[in-house]
Amino acid sequence: MSEFDVIVVGAGPAGASAAIKLASAKVNVLLVDRADPPGSKNVSGGVLWGDSLTQVAPDWEKGPVERYVEAKGVSFLTKDSRISLDFRSKKFGEYKSGYTVLRTKFDAWLAKKAKDSGVMLVSGVTVDKIAMKDGKAVGVEQGGETITSDAVILAEGANSRIAYDSGLKRKPTDRNTALGVKEIIKLPEKTITERFGLTSPKMGFASEFVLGFLEGGVRAGGFLYTNKESLSIGAVISMAELRKNNKTYSFNVIEQFKEHPFVAPLLEGGRVEEYSAHLVPEGGISADSLNGNGYMIAGDAAGFTFSNGLVLQGMNYAIVSGIVAAESFLEKKEKGIQAGANFANYTENLSKTFVMKDMMNFKGIDKLTWSKYVHQTLPSIAEEAMLNMFSENGQPKKHLYKILTKSMSSHEESKLGMAMELLKMLRRM
Amino acid sequence: MGLKIVVMIKQVPDSQEVVIDPVTFTLNRSAARNVINPADENAIEAALRIKDKLPDTHITVITMGPPFAETALLDAMARGVDDGLLVSDRAFAGADTYPTGLTLAATITKIGDVDMIFAGEESTDSSTGHVGPGVAEFLGIEQASYTSNSWIEDGYVYAERELEDGIETVKMKPPSLITVVTNANVPRNATLRMKIDAIRKGIKTWTLADIELKPEWVGLKGSPTVVKSMRTMNEKKREGKKFKAGEMDKFVDELVSKGILKL
Repeated sequence: MSEFDVIVVGAGPAGASAAIKLASAKVNVLLVDRADPPGSKNVSGGVLWGDSLTQVAPDWEKGPVERYVEAKGVSFLTKDSRISLDFRSKKFGEYKSGYTVLRTKFDAWLAKKAKDSGVMLVSGVTVDKIAMKDGKAVGVEQGGETITSDAVILAEGANSRIAYDSGLKRKPTDRNTALGVKEIIKLPEKTITERFGLTSPKMGFASEFVLGFLEGGVRAGGFLYTNKESLSIGAVISMAELRKNNKTYSFNVIEQFKEHPFVAPLLEGGRVEEYSAHLVPEGGISADSLNGNGYMIAGDAAGFTFSNGLVLQGMNYAIVSGIVAAESFLEKKEKGIQAGANFANYTENLSKTFVMKDMMNFKGIDKLTWSKYVHQTLPSIAEEAMLNMFSENGQPKKHLYKILTKSMSSHEESKLGMAMELLKMLRRM
Repeated sequence: MGLKIVVMIKQVPDSQEVVIDPVTFTLNRSAARNVINPADENAIEAALRIKDKLPDTHITVITMGPPFAETALLDAMARGVDDGLLVSDRAFAGADTYPTGLTLAATITKIGDVDMIFAGEESTDSSTGHVGPGVAEFLGIEQASYTSNSWIEDGYVYAERELEDGIETVKMKPPSLITVVTNANVPRNATLRMKIDAIRKGIKTWTLADIELKPEWVGLKGSPTVVKSMRTMNEKKREGKKFKAGEMDKFVDELVSKGILKL
């Protein structure tokens, strides 16, 4: 007989959600995290979209959240300009947006929730690998000892060392990995509310940026989120970009972003309180198989993140995949589970949720989001068009269509080619 | 019957994470995670090394503190300590080093038949170094402070103290108390197996009633220390002028003109 019903590796949103779900069904769960306190090595941009957490922690909105996103932006930055879409709506009450969160607080809160619901939580120890016997996962190995379980839920995050070492996942390629660098900048609550034009100190702003202006044409995305008393600002740079020429450094990218003439004023007077870096899964599902004999892979470890340039999401996918993994275990348990059973029902159950649907529908979107078209061509056309539209130079005014086509013709690509790209983009996004 | 060892530990905020509040100039401990006082980790390791040689040794780790100090005890147990005992009571709040020593001494008396007591040289959050030696005095036993190595031989406790001009080896008759310097050894890591076992075993908790001390002897009431005032030293603003290489003449002139250097 196994020592635990389930061992969950990694106390991030995926692992903690799975553990809570299992423990509340009286399942004997061990949740292991390498950091102490649990989750303190975890990093994310900082918006938890949706309300999937309600399923395992109904009171989470009163917990470790910072501000509710009432203002969502997308900006294209050129060297001298910022072209933004800035959407603010009172309807973000009935239409769920998300909360900004600080992961050190948030993850510790969720881990405690797991502990309180009966999970055995062990932190500060790194699992070496999954213990395999006759091709079945039968627990985890650490320090030469095996802790047995009927199932393992692997939620170890983007840098999935255990999955690699246990042969469950191929080493990441440049295409499915990006590097995120992030700073937390301290500012008074009142300053943030006023500076970002928010309706109350409980309300927040979240924006994604396309950083088309970077030195050497480096392609990177940026984000800026408001917390209660700090800003989360960061950049995500594709590995391919970093590898392409050895002159690109992630810290230069975030510095250039922070120093942009229309970003710098937003950070004015702030003090960097924290900085971090983390791998970001890109390009969809990265595990060869999401399930196998005795194991399931959830969250970042499976590659469950979403980015189409307009939104960056990950934690909501992690939470849902964790919950579905727990449910899939419970389903099997009801029928009398054997250690090392195959959890094909996990992939099946997951395919009924937005997690898998998004992964399938938006497969290959990374090619678009990292394209030169999105990073340089489109922003520079837009900049030129805006300048023509919004400036006044005593000349007769032109129609918008004329302005656009003129701006487009100053580029090497054909107008038709660009129109096709735009159409493709709209369809894919 | 094997040796009976008690290790006294304290849970402290991680000194690397304690920040000074820029407005009130007080220490903000809430941002810092709680860890075992570093020297106490070395004390635990020193005790475990004796158990390595004499496996039927029984080690109890004790701490006086709030309920959340449980994590420090579990951490020690996960490294190989047999039992964890938390001495916790509202009456202990506000204790200075005197009643803290008394409380721990009473706890050790209650445990009974202890051969050796280990403690860290001092804690990072108050740095007095009082408590270990204080406990030895309350118990009326021999002690060696600031030790870097210790062992048992022919029924005696030996301890090495690193002094300025050499190493002093002290021979004591048990029961005796040893305080261990920071970095005296490399504390071992806990494994997942041991962490699980520690959590399953759990700790014991004693209150004031268990150690049979009068309420007026412990906590704030039993503390002779009176804090008259406290001040924060302000950093002196310095000019911080920079000179480039090759500007030595200018540099010397500046020093002379300010009267710092006399020719």
